[in-house]
Amino acid sequence: MQSGVVQGIDSPSIPGHKSVIAFNEAVKDYGRKRIGPVDLKIQKGEVLGFLGPNGSGKTTCIRMLLGLLRTSSGTVRIRDLDPVSKHAQALRNVAYSPELPNLQTFLTPREILQLVTHELSLKGSSGEKGDEIKRVLEIAGLLEYADTKVGKLSKGMVQRLSVAQALLGTPEILVLDEPMIGLDPAGVAHFREVFRRFVSEGGGTVFMSSHIMSEVESLCTSVAIIHNGKILFRGPVDKVIRDALDYSIIVLEAEGITSEVLEKMNSIPSVTEVTTVGNAFEIKVQGSNSDEVRASIAGLIIRMGGKLYTIKRADNLLERAYIEALKRDDHFSGATPRQIPGTG
Amino acid sequence: MGRADVVFTFARYEIRRAVARRKVLIIIAITVLLDILPYAALSTRQSVIRALEPGVLQYIWIIGVLAIQPLFLNFTAILIAAGAMSEEYEQGTAELLLSKPVKRGDYFLGKFLGGFMLFLGILLVSITLNVASAYAAFGTQYGLSILPRFFFIQAFSSLLFFSLAFMLGELMRRSSLAYIFSSLIFFASIVINIYMEFVYTLTGDAFYNTVRYYLPTSPADSFPVQYAMQNLHGTTALRIIAELLGETGSVEPSIVYSIVLILIYAVAGIAIAASYFSYADISKKVT
Repeated sequence: MQSGVVQGIDSPSIPGHKSVIAFNEAVKDYGRKRIGPVDLKIQKGEVLGFLGPNGSGKTTCIRMLLGLLRTSSGTVRIRDLDPVSKHAQALRNVAYSPELPNLQTFLTPREILQLVTHELSLKGSSGEKGDEIKRVLEIAGLLEYADTKVGKLSKGMVQRLSVAQALLGTPEILVLDEPMIGLDPAGVAHFREVFRRFVSEGGGTVFMSSHIMSEVESLCTSVAIIHNGKILFRGPVDKVIRDALDYSIIVLEAEGITSEVLEKMNSIPSVTEVTTVGNAFEIKVQGSNSDEVRASIAGLIIRMGGKLYTIKRADNLLERAYIEALKRDDHFSGATPRQIPGTG
Repeated sequence: MGRADVVFTFARYEIRRAVARRKVLIIIAITVLLDILPYAALSTRQSVIRALEPGVLQYIWIIGVLAIQPLFLNFTAILIAAGAMSEEYEQGTAELLLSKPVKRGDYFLGKFLGGFMLFLGILLVSITLNVASAYAAFGTQYGLSILPRFFFIQAFSSLLFFSLAFMLGELMRRSSLAYIFSSLIFFASIVINIYMEFVYTLTGDAFYNTVRYYLPTSPADSFPVQYAMQNLHGTTALRIIAELLGETGSVEPSIVYSIVLILIYAVAGIAIAASYFSYADISKKVT
């Protein structure tokens, strides 16, 4: 066990599914900084959200996975192949979209896709390759800009192109490093759907690092939280939330919440805190019986003559779980407690 | 598609990438000026022309073609090669290209060949313009049958600094440092050569002359001149040109010496760069 933090959960075992990605005690030693040992297995069909603060080691892990970095000790395997020594075989059908992509500004999106098509040695006539390029340009919403130099595209469009090049051919594993950065809300929704279809229709696997918790919560089947180079949590989203948080939050929107109602709410067993957030209330409930507490609160408001508009569990629990996990790790490792931007 | 196609894809990509950089356009502009202006200027100086031995003007293209080797061709090779690998690290584009299922060796070879093919293109333009300018300024030129071999000899000679600069670009992964160190080697070699020649002349000590043999500029500059001296004979004009070139350009004692030294430098540069590239991590973005 490490520092008293809730330990990493083993990779969820899906019968009949093999690990397609495996970090086995993988360490990258930069001299002054050390990432790992990272133990992480990802199974076919899994959509893993890889979370962690800046500098925690997410990109290093991704780069070890892609064979761009050698491990200092331990191993990384893609379908049992070493991505460094067997780079071409291991990376076949693995597609990568880098964070803040630095694409060739002197080329057009079409030319970059043609370059990748050649790199991937995609088979087919030039017409078929052209169709494939057109397909991903359409998916990325870049058909209109296919022949515009990348240097003239907006940041969001470059990000779209980065994802588009990853979708060329028939990838089985998508490695996405902050794929939604710079995208407008419509683009985020569009690509979320693209990734969903990639998994549901193609049976692919997604390994996605992101800082957007809501995105991870809505898209990923499981998450891994990395901090100070070590995996703190690993498992299905619900389980990670349960393990990281020993409380849940109920969001309440109602009228007629008097001080008496608040007092009674506070006296409900398990309710530890009631706070006002704008026009709503957030009720912190210790333990896992938030459904019962919700029913009690709803009954209380109606009995006391109030008007109940909404009462539900907070839907940003992953973010809370994530912040809680980092705080706990900082506490146990003796680091200065972090101030996470936007969290107060 | 086989590996050769992938290598060729990277080679084409490298040409495209290098041409998109302004420095290559500047090199081409300088090539045009260097290959036209001297002939144009000389053609207006009738007193100089009259002073030349009869027939020299019919072979004057040789001087033009060989004159570019010591400075211009070697330096052009440095400018193209030093950025081939390093600029990709700086711009962060190497990461995406190497995250694909390609062999690092194919990428390396493609980049090297692409850069060198671009260099060959510039060399071809330079030689063609030189001969055309000589023709335009002084009429029919003779001895052009050796031109194709000249092209390959100059290309081979330039391989020395091309490989050294390519190696430094890979080792340093910063284009500015690679340019500076490659140029430093180049100019230091020229300066040391001058000093060694001077000391040798004064002392007659063969050691100083031997040192000159192993400087990188010596074989690169000597080989084309040695070839010219071997092949240009028979007429007074050609003898004058050969003597002129021999006195100013050739350091190495024989053509074999030049070839072997060029090969040693070039192969060492390529081998070191390839070893480092195959082992080292691929940087994210070097800024």
